[in-house]
Amino acid sequence: MSGVVRFTAAALRRRARPLGRLAGWSAAEALPALLAGNLTARAVDDGFLAGRPGTGLAWLGVLAVAVAIGAVGTNRAYACLGDVVEPFRDELAERVVTGALHRSTAAGARPETAAVARLTHQVEIVRDTFAGLVMVVRGFLFTAVAALLGLFSLTPVVAGVVAVPLIAGLALFAATLPAMVVRQRDYVHADERLGEVAGAAFTGHRDVVACGAQEIVADRVGRQVHRQAGAEYALARMAALRSLSLAVGGWLPLAVLLLAAPWLVRHGLTAGAVLGALVYVATGLQPALHALVQGVAGGGLRFAVTLDRILDATTPPPTDTAASQLRTVTEAAAEVDSPRAGAAPVWAELRGVTFRYGPRARPVLDGFDLTLGEGAYLAVVGPSGAGKSTLAGVLAGLLRPQAGTVLLGGTPVGAAEPAVLARHRVLIPQEAYVFAGTLLDNLRYLRPDAPGSEVDAAVHRLGLLPLVRRLGGLTATVDPTALSAGERQLVAAVRAFLSAAPLAILDEATCHLDPVAEATVEEAFGARPGALVVIAHRISSALRAREVLILDGGRPLHGRHQDLLAGSATYRELVGHWHADPVRAGVADG
Amino acid sequence: MIADGNRLLRQAVTYGGGWTVTLGAAALLGAAAELLLPAALGLAVDAALGQADRWWPLAACGLVVLIVATDTLSNLAGGAGTARTTARLRQRLLGHLLALDPRRATRYPVGDLVGRLVGQAADAGQAGSAVVFGVTAALPPLGSVIALLLLDWRLAVTFGAGLLLLAVGLRAFVTDASAAAAGYLGVQGRIAGRLAEALHGARTIAAAGSVQVEIDRVLAPLPLLRAHGNRTWTTLARASGRTAGVAPLLQLAIVAVGGWSVADGRLTPGQLFAAVQYAALGAGLGSIVATLNRLVRTRAGAQRIAAVLAEPPRSYGTAPLPAGTGQLVLSGVTVYGDDGSRVLAGIDLRVPPGATVAVVGPSGAGKSTLAAVAGRLRDPDAGEVLLDGVPLCRLSRPALRQAVGYGFERPVLIGDTIAEAVTLGSAVDSGGQPGLGRAGSGQVTAAQRIEDGRAAADGPSDVGRVVAVARAAAIDEFVERLPDGYRSRLDATPMSGGEAQRLGLARALHADRLLVLDDATSSLDTATEHRIAAAVAAHRDRRTRLVVTHRVATAAAADLVAWLDGGRLRGVGAHRELWRDPAYRAVFAASSLPDPAPAKPAEPARPTGPAGAIAPTGPADAIAPTGPAGPAGPAVEVVR
Repeated sequence: MSGVVRFTAAALRRRARPLGRLAGWSAAEALPALLAGNLTARAVDDGFLAGRPGTGLAWLGVLAVAVAIGAVGTNRAYACLGDVVEPFRDELAERVVTGALHRSTAAGARPETAAVARLTHQVEIVRDTFAGLVMVVRGFLFTAVAALLGLFSLTPVVAGVVAVPLIAGLALFAATLPAMVVRQRDYVHADERLGEVAGAAFTGHRDVVACGAQEIVADRVGRQVHRQAGAEYALARMAALRSLSLAVGGWLPLAVLLLAAPWLVRHGLTAGAVLGALVYVATGLQPALHALVQGVAGGGLRFAVTLDRILDATTPPPTDTAASQLRTVTEAAAEVDSPRAGAAPVWAELRGVTFRYGPRARPVLDGFDLTLGEGAYLAVVGPSGAGKSTLAGVLAGLLRPQAGTVLLGGTPVGAAEPAVLARHRVLIPQEAYVFAGTLLDNLRYLRPDAPGSEVDAAVHRLGLLPLVRRLGGLTATVDPTALSAGERQLVAAVRAFLSAAPLAILDEATCHLDPVAEATVEEAFGARPGALVVIAHRISSALRAREVLILDGGRPLHGRHQDLLAGSATYRELVGHWHADPVRAGVADG
Repeated sequence: MIADGNRLLRQAVTYGGGWTVTLGAAALLGAAAELLLPAALGLAVDAALGQADRWWPLAACGLVVLIVATDTLSNLAGGAGTARTTARLRQRLLGHLLALDPRRATRYPVGDLVGRLVGQAADAGQAGSAVVFGVTAALPPLGSVIALLLLDWRLAVTFGAGLLLLAVGLRAFVTDASAAAAGYLGVQGRIAGRLAEALHGARTIAAAGSVQVEIDRVLAPLPLLRAHGNRTWTTLARASGRTAGVAPLLQLAIVAVGGWSVADGRLTPGQLFAAVQYAALGAGLGSIVATLNRLVRTRAGAQRIAAVLAEPPRSYGTAPLPAGTGQLVLSGVTVYGDDGSRVLAGIDLRVPPGATVAVVGPSGAGKSTLAAVAGRLRDPDAGEVLLDGVPLCRLSRPALRQAVGYGFERPVLIGDTIAEAVTLGSAVDSGGQPGLGRAGSGQVTAAQRIEDGRAAADGPSDVGRVVAVARAAAIDEFVERLPDGYRSRLDATPMSGGEAQRLGLARALHADRLLVLDDATSSLDTATEHRIAAAVAAHRDRRTRLVVTHRVATAAAADLVAWLDGGRLRGVGAHRELWRDPAYRAVFAASSLPDPAPAKPAEPARPTGPAGAIAPTGPADAIAPTGPAGPAGPAVEVVR
């Protein structure tokens, strides 16, 4: 939570000028609070009680002018608020977006889809509550100071006596704030957790009934209901505690004033001054404190809790020292092997690569070797979950193996910047990325300087032309949601085809295309200079490749299609599963 | 419907129990004290000026103490009562929802149900405090107006005029603000959309090393957002400027009118102050609207919950599982869809104990409905389903759960960890006594033992069972490769459709009489599917299997094929026999992933146990009435 205070304080310091203007107008806003009691006292003493109602009304007229000035102050203060709050929101939005994209593109990470809700929901809560908090706190400060000053002008003794319980009440409230924040956070967590658990249970209603697990699941969700009720009860206790600080800070001054009034009158305080003092306490100080306590306990707590969650979720984790040490080891190992000068280019090489998803997990790749030279065309096949995409990630340098070396164009990937890696290889994942922008921008994403003729040629070659025509040319704006999954994959394929990187890795990149379109794409990539790796979705991809790698959980098998067909039962099963054979199906008839 | 809601609302008020009573007493007392305080303050002022009894300041302080005490108590009792009421409503709704027939429950979207449980239950949970405050919140403002009238009618008139001005100012704000907010939300949605796109393409971006480009692209509309945001604040500024002066001016007007009366001797200075205080209290009249709003929301919440509670829960019988080995008989089973159309029409099917029956047919033929009816996931509208001679609806829930397991095409896995998800509902096995009590304990223990890693010491059988079913479903390798194995968190484990299918299948394998697989291996490659089929067949109890499939291989391997078309059984028999019918072959031709399996037609069922009750000679025998099966039962194995 100290992070929230630090972050907010730093943000406020950066907004010193708008805050200064806000303070100026707030002072104007507090003018009626400063004068109300004093002018009322004069109106009563010099006017109404002295039998001169005209004088009384004149004093009240002065107060009315002050009220009008105060209203202008209020108006201007709110107008200043934008300059304080909007930049604060911008900083948060930048933080959320930057963090989400960095983490989602980190090694082995999954897209952080929760960031979208964080941006639209949590950042907005913080914006609104931050504005409320600023207004409530400065409103209290200026009103309280103004009322105390006014009181001081009427009767300095009372001002001193009243200030003590006010400050005590504030201190009491401040002391309970950290506990309140914790309770509020528990409450929000409990609420969200309940929603999650209940959502899972209702989504699986059929499954729950099929397993006869109604009571088990009711218990599971019921525990969250119970926890949530506990959190709510704790909040209620906090609310009770809050009314006590309000009692000390708001009601005690009034009581003190009432009890002291007879003594004060005996010592020369006029009737009007007594009234004026009461006006300062009852209509100035007390409502201001009430607004502060309610505002801080409501929106303020929400601000603290929500901002804390945003900061929590967007603070980069400490760098993994173990991983970086490992990297230096592999780099050192790589340097021992000096690149073979003069030989045919080796676009990618894996040496003794071992990869596992956790320290205790079984390795997906174990001491794995692979070399891809010029003209290599490798299809990777195997049942789902056998590690095909993992291999693609390791080969592309997106996943760091626990042991072994990955070289791209002779460079160890551990040391390379993402931009350098991008010059060596292009990876097309299954989930094609198309952004809202022109089609041309999308296609030139990896090579912004690709000449128009090359773009046109690639569009023809890979079969994107019908889509280009439908959208109205390359400069037309694309709405990604209006494209089918296959069309998006085709855009991504043309984009990758235009890339200057010699190694292309298609990770089920054509799974949403029909077999003919898939063949067109793969054949185009096969004829592209450099090397090609296709993580196959259909067995037809393996038939087109020069070599096939089988990953099925056991030892990887590597060879040409015909050899594997002869030598691997797994491969035969895979081929049999994917490959329709009407002639053989007819045998069953006989 | 409305009557149900109101009844639930009354019940909800009582759920608060003592807290609601305390709240009511405290709120009433507090309102009275609040109403008396200005008068007492006025008298205290007069007392200080020597014009009233000198005890009045003390009396006013006493009222202050009372207000503080009742306020504290109201806060506590209100919050605690709401917490208790909400929890009871939620537990009730939860129990009821889970006791519903899946068919009824799925009429409500999941988000809607979560909304009712989390949101509307909380609204309805405020029943007690909403009613109490609905009554007491109006007292001080209304009393203030009367008090002003009693003090001096001129004050009451002034006050009324001021209140009208305030209302006009607030109304204008609502229209301005919504216009400004619309533009803001539009830009915000654009930024969010770009972020969502970029996150979707995270792998492409990671590979291209273009994170910074993407960050800039997503944030590009930010200045526009700020411009719109500034507009919302200016709107707010206009509105607040308009209203800011009203309350002080109202107070001022009261002082002016009251002061005149003081000058004329109609009021004392103390009464003038009382009038100012009453005017402030009376301005709370606006909050009555908020209180009424709350009451309306509470009532709406209660109605939404009552609507779900009004759905009849499904009932279970009391019969235990009879002796038997899983003979499944459907007689005259008819099911109507929600739109009244007939999904299944008079299905008669006998599946001998231990046999595998494949249910095939084109999309929409009623295959899944047949599967749902066979294990009582759904009750037929006419006809009945018997397992070992007992109608399913007469079986107790533990008996049904012990007997029947379901595998789905898209299973929803429930639990914190993989182990919990796989053991869901299979507690009765280890408990030995499938009693009606809390079935949760055994299941939790099984999962927890794995969690604790004390497997070997505490319950090798539980852990062994989890691993065994995982192996049988060919998912053990996948799980063992996860960072935490069987203790891996479900929500942190990305998995493909095929992997989820296999975990869902593992979850069903505890069933000892009937296993219903509704396209449950559709995402798997043939090799894996075959491995599962062999493992499932090797179960010690030789349970009956009903398998909905699109694959020729699966149909060919089954002992019996039930061919559905348009809700009717078009044929029952061995795959080889049915294959002669071109219409039957067309069922498989339509499927998108043809199998090579017919290359090796299924061999006749081969009894592996003691001589079975069915002779493996043909379909006619397979569907013939089979007498009460012996304990050893006939066994068939899926072979190819």
